Amino acid sequence: MVEILTSQVVSGLATGCVYALIALGFVLIFKATDVVNFAQGEFVMVSGFISYTLLIRFGIPYWLVLVLTIVVSGFMGVLLERVVVRPIMNAPIFSIVIATIGASIVLRSSAGILYGYDVLPLPTIFSKDPIRLGIVSFTAMDAGVIGFSLVIMAALYLFFKLTKTGTAMRATAQSQTAARLMGVSVPRIFSLTWAISAGIGGVAGVLIAPIIYLDPNLGFIGVKAFAGAILGGFGSIPGAIVGGMLLGILENLSGYFFNAGIKQVSTYILLILVLVVRPSGLFGAAPVRKV
Amino acid sequence: MKGLRGGAVLISVLVGLLVLFASGPVRAEEGVTDKEVVVGAGLDLTGAVANWGVNIKAGMEALFNRVNEAGGIHGRKIRLIAYDHVYQPPKAVTNAKRLVERDHVFVMMGHLGTPTTKAIKDYVEEKRVPNIFPATLASIWTTSGKWHVGDLATYADQTGLIIDYLVKERKIRKIASFYQDDEYGLDGHLAGKSRLKHQYDLAYVAEVDYKRADIDFSSQAAKLKESGADAVILQAVYREPPRLAEQCAAIGYKPLFIGPSPIVLAKTIELGGKHVEGLMGVEVYPLPTDPGPFLDQYRADMAKYAPSLPIDTTNLYGYQKAALFAEALQRTGRSLTRDSVLRAIESIKDWDPGWGLKYTYGGDNRRGMSNAGRLVVVKDGKWTKASEWTELKEVGRR
Repeated sequence: MVEILTSQVVSGLATGCVYALIALGFVLIFKATDVVNFAQGEFVMVSGFISYTLLIRFGIPYWLVLVLTIVVSGFMGVLLERVVVRPIMNAPIFSIVIATIGASIVLRSSAGILYGYDVLPLPTIFSKDPIRLGIVSFTAMDAGVIGFSLVIMAALYLFFKLTKTGTAMRATAQSQTAARLMGVSVPRIFSLTWAISAGIGGVAGVLIAPIIYLDPNLGFIGVKAFAGAILGGFGSIPGAIVGGMLLGILENLSGYFFNAGIKQVSTYILLILVLVVRPSGLFGAAPVRKV
Repeated sequence: MKGLRGGAVLISVLVGLLVLFASGPVRAEEGVTDKEVVVGAGLDLTGAVANWGVNIKAGMEALFNRVNEAGGIHGRKIRLIAYDHVYQPPKAVTNAKRLVERDHVFVMMGHLGTPTTKAIKDYVEEKRVPNIFPATLASIWTTSGKWHVGDLATYADQTGLIIDYLVKERKIRKIASFYQDDEYGLDGHLAGKSRLKHQYDLAYVAEVDYKRADIDFSSQAAKLKESGADAVILQAVYREPPRLAEQCAAIGYKPLFIGPSPIVLAKTIELGGKHVEGLMGVEVYPLPTDPGPFLDQYRADMAKYAPSLPIDTTNLYGYQKAALFAEALQRTGRSLTRDSVLRAIESIKDWDPGWGLKYTYGGDNRRGMSNAGRLVVVKDGKWTKASEWTELKEVGRR
């Protein structure tokens, strides 16, 4: 019983880490530009197909594929920002959000046209065989996903704290006008934010696609990650991480203690509860309107 | 005065004749012209079971294309109009309305999915459009009367075969059920439950459900492991068995997995690799690689009309439906109506397309080849025959 519970928590944490990465992408773009990018899930899906193409069609080694996928994915983020978002930056936020939904449909359909709607198995270097450590049993795949996600999160933390660009990005998130007056190129920061968010989405894609298989509808995982971000307090980076992880664990446990129907709605029940009890989310600050 | 009365009689006769001709039986059947018969299908082409949908369409078209190139049937070519319902019941209803009211199809043909076909059931009955050989083997199509005609053994009957095999041959008494929580999964799940109880005085040691298009089964795996089941019956499609087997293996649990025909396709093995080695399934028509003139023709037609797709149980499923429909059109003759084609199907007795198994209709039998079933197993990455054809008993018809 205890062993099964612990392994449920570990495998939930692995899925939760992927939610957390996607949620991070949502939050970074939102903090910097006030836009909720509903194509975030599609970054995950497209990067899955990019790595599939590089691995299977070109036979490139795994680690190189990982790096290339992140880079290509980052470029896709910049492209989306330049082509879709920047031209309508002065339009109401609502219009921009709709534009990102449009972009997500275009990406999903393009993947369908290019690769078909069939599910594809994406290879991975992590084994899916069980490992036992005391009362916990898990797979190398779970450990790999958790470890890799933590490394990415730590790297981002260091980037924001220690580098000049990172500081400029934080400044832009706080006040675009002040940042501009301090000599920060706000358009450049916007592009960079989209590149980083899409790049993180790329990591999530490479990690999750071998687990749940690759198909053009993979991007719908973004909806769950979005719920994770709200759970943690939309706009908070630690919130996105903790919210995503909690969600993964909660899903597994509710599926274990109840049934598939409860598992499906557990996310949203928790979401409603959090919003009623603490509308700003677990980590969110009290709402302050930017003026 | 006399002349006027004669005129009135003449006018009333003319009006009478006009009314007679306008509403008389001369009107042609919907979807049928001198040169063409139009059939409609709702399939999943982009969703959770798209592998089945895309291949069923290709299989049906391969046969129709060959028939059409040879001049059609009684001078009529067969045209298939297929729309994508993404395995979602509401979309299936919209598509059915489009097919019937805008495209004026003659019949629904090979409509995919149990929940999706159940969703259009009332509608096609109301519009009196035959639902011919839907791509769902749920028991409901064998008991729903005139407008619905199935073709192969039901999930319920297949599950009966599975239970008999597990209990009698493998001497397994701890059996669990993993089922899709909708009309599809419940058909076999409930039939198995009743067969266990009434035939063997047993019960499932665990009943674990999942939702259509779910992608994570770790909690289901944990429950199955805890139940200690030696065999798990999978009332699932092709994405779930590999993922479940992987997640069970991850917690050190390796029961015998076995399920009805929707899991028996190459994709299951492609996704699962070594984790689905030993997975068993039920087959209700021969393997696409089996010998026989009908299967030779099938392989030749697929190579010619759908060269990009490999031969697979999925497209053979559509192909045999189309062959059976072509046979029905042949028997109906030149005067083609919805009623006459249904009567022609009912006249089919012991018809063998050339693969050694026979279709029989008539009476209240709405399932042509309902008696044939055999077990297959994944061996060295291939579906391999594991038993001879056996007669399936009817179980759990509801």
